[in-house]
Amino acid sequence: MKPSRDWPIAVRMIEVQDALRGIDDLTEYPRTRVFVLDAGALIGSVDIHNCRRPISAPRLRQAIGDWQAWRLMKRALQRQIAVTAEPPLSPAVTVSIVVPTCNRPDDLRRCLMALRAQRSARAVEIVVVDNRPGTAITPNVVRDFPEARLIEEHRPGLSYARNAGFVEATGDILIAIDDDVTVPAGWLERLVAPFGRADVMAVTGHVLPVELETESQCRFEAYGGLGKGFARFEVDGSWFRSRRTAVPTWHLGATANAAFRAACFRDPAIGLLDEALGAGMPTGCSEDTYLFYRILKAGHTIVYEPTAWVWHRHRNDSSSLRNQIYAYSKGHVAYHLTTLMRDRDPRALVRLGWSLPKVYLRRAVERLRRRSDYPLDLILTEIAGNLAGPWALWQARRRVRRFGPSAAYVLPSERLLRDAPAAARPAPATNHAVSIQSPLA
Amino acid sequence: MKLICIDLESPLPSIPPATLGEQWVLVRLHRCPIGMLKLGRTPGLTASELGRRIADECAWPIAHHLAVDGLGGDTNVDEFMRLSRACPRGAAPRATVTVAVCTRNRAAGLADCLDALMALDYPAPLVERLVIDNAPSDESTANVVARYPGVRYIREPRPGLDWARNRAIREARHDIVAFTDDDVIVDDQWVRALARTFEEERDALCVTGLVVPDALDSRAQVLFEQYGGFGRGFRRAVYRVDVEAGERTAPHHGGTGKFGTGANMAFRRETFSRIGLFDPALDVGTPANGGGDLEMFFRVLKEGGTLVYEPCAVVRHRHCHDYDALKTKIRNNGIGFYAYLVRAAQAYPDERGAILRLGVWWMWWWNVRRLLRALVRPAAFPRDLILAELRGSIAGLRRYAAARRHAARILAAYGAQS
Repeated sequence: MKPSRDWPIAVRMIEVQDALRGIDDLTEYPRTRVFVLDAGALIGSVDIHNCRRPISAPRLRQAIGDWQAWRLMKRALQRQIAVTAEPPLSPAVTVSIVVPTCNRPDDLRRCLMALRAQRSARAVEIVVVDNRPGTAITPNVVRDFPEARLIEEHRPGLSYARNAGFVEATGDILIAIDDDVTVPAGWLERLVAPFGRADVMAVTGHVLPVELETESQCRFEAYGGLGKGFARFEVDGSWFRSRRTAVPTWHLGATANAAFRAACFRDPAIGLLDEALGAGMPTGCSEDTYLFYRILKAGHTIVYEPTAWVWHRHRNDSSSLRNQIYAYSKGHVAYHLTTLMRDRDPRALVRLGWSLPKVYLRRAVERLRRRSDYPLDLILTEIAGNLAGPWALWQARRRVRRFGPSAAYVLPSERLLRDAPAAARPAPATNHAVSIQSPLA
Repeated sequence: MKLICIDLESPLPSIPPATLGEQWVLVRLHRCPIGMLKLGRTPGLTASELGRRIADECAWPIAHHLAVDGLGGDTNVDEFMRLSRACPRGAAPRATVTVAVCTRNRAAGLADCLDALMALDYPAPLVERLVIDNAPSDESTANVVARYPGVRYIREPRPGLDWARNRAIREARHDIVAFTDDDVIVDDQWVRALARTFEEERDALCVTGLVVPDALDSRAQVLFEQYGGFGRGFRRAVYRVDVEAGERTAPHHGGTGKFGTGANMAFRRETFSRIGLFDPALDVGTPANGGGDLEMFFRVLKEGGTLVYEPCAVVRHRHCHDYDALKTKIRNNGIGFYAYLVRAAQAYPDERGAILRLGVWWMWWWNVRRLLRALVRPAAFPRDLILAELRGSIAGLRRYAAARRHAARILAAYGAQS
């Protein structure tokens, strides 16, 4: 079989303030994606069609110049104009990092190793939530990381797991990441920095592919990946109210790399993640977008901070892209139905009845007119996922009714009053777990 | 008027009024060309007016050049956007270069060409200068070359530009063989830029450069630039085809005129042992009337080599002065291009479908469509020139076979090159 022209794609990162060298070890790669850093800040990416040959320093220099010159100039000018810095976040503010996992020991180990290498002046707590307790797989990994706490959540579902972690965590800021990400040096401080402003309730970061070695990884990244671009933005309550169609909270980021002020989980208008949404449930995803929805609805600000990026290892098997897209489409509809039923938001109807069908129609027409190469079968997968959405949501709701809700979030200062010393952790729902067949199986 | 070259590191000159034809200015920074100001029939510009024009039209390429220079370690905020900053593009060259000029019975212009070659800014031991006198009818060329010590004169009796080029390759003693024409005046940085590009791009088999008009005195010369000229922009471009993955060359890179021209091209010498010499059935002096350079560019990519366009390697080309010569030139472009397509299709059966599509599309898009446009808007480009190229293109389809027979006769008469 001939190798492909389009994958694998080598992923490299270049700091333009350091001496610029060419890239040599590319004999396996027809393409190269270079992420460009300027003084540690991620400013963009450059794709070079190197056809399995090294990239010389002048070629790299010019490629970066061709695609990023304008941003580099802007930043150089900004440094001279001295843009006023935002209020710094007090070092007394503590942070908890919640990592849910289910039997992925290699990913988890890489993740914890990277977290261990983080340097921060503030108190940082790591909470690993084992969502498939009963085996020694996860405890065996966590044993090597004494700084990490391991807690168990028997009820399957990513939202259950994350909620259990949040409820147990003691930090003022709670960070959600996935077990298949690794964080670069300096990530923590960049992600929490926007909390220096009182109105910021959540911060999301960029998610970059750590490797694009297989066709499915490349296709997933081409489909949109998990990142939301290289430009910082923020949205707030007025943006939420001014939208005429559904609020596009799915463009704000994901809980693969997000931080929340702990207080928001205590606010009854916001609360924890919706257990009926998210991976491990029939709905498949959207628990994070619904949380963003509630935060914006309560009038708070969400900041997308691309310089706080993490590396994500995309799934490798070829069937998973299709499954993932199917799940996204299902969860997308479930999310809109949730905003419609829980929050009485009529804009969801506009999205479901008008803009969403229009998107697919346009995509299909573009494809048939050969203006795009978006595969038709993916469009069909998405439509099928959308149609399955209401049923999935109903199934998920029934399951949540059986499992019961997550424990409520209580501020750490109030926990001692609430709990008897022995029952410091929420009672795992073992009585349910016996009778339930795991949907992840 | 002669093309004026200015470098932004030196004080700007004033521009004299255009007395003949048009006045164009090539703008350079750190010796790299970054843009062309087409002033037209200007009544002259003072230095400050020229500066304003440059700031208006070239601000972005200048800023881009400086931003690229600033990448990688030496970014000093205070130095940003300062024209006099150090440019990392001027590394000292080490490669040895043979410069070959192929000529035939044009002794009059050859002196200008050789003057420029003697003035190259390159260490003398590293450069060799050849003049290939192609089937001359008299001794005039030999007499001119005799005035230039250090220029080797070689006579090639087989008529045809590609015979001469192949002779130059055989005679060349250095690692890089750079070709230029006898109607070209090379920039003093030309060889330096070529050698630097070969050193930087280790995979490059071929480097082409920027060709600017030497003068724009007559309508024919301006028309030739309007027709497309030889310039191919002001940024380096690296071309390569993913042969290992089965990518075809013709669909995206079949129109090899976009890479440059034979008046400004250079090759690593081992290129020719890898992919073969120039096809003697093509180019000037044969029934194909051109296309030898186009075919070699195609072969470089098709055989998995890398081709680089480097605008810092700049030469000035004396475009033909009178209209009839321009018409012949444009007609020959059509013949040469289609002869090259036929040759490429014969040599590479797997590219035939793509070459056929390219040939049909080019005939429609470039020849017929332009002709139809010119019928609606006669001012756009002279119809007879478009028609000349259309006729040439159709004739070119059958010329390659004739050129092959012609080359075979020459081979029989003179024997093979040794």
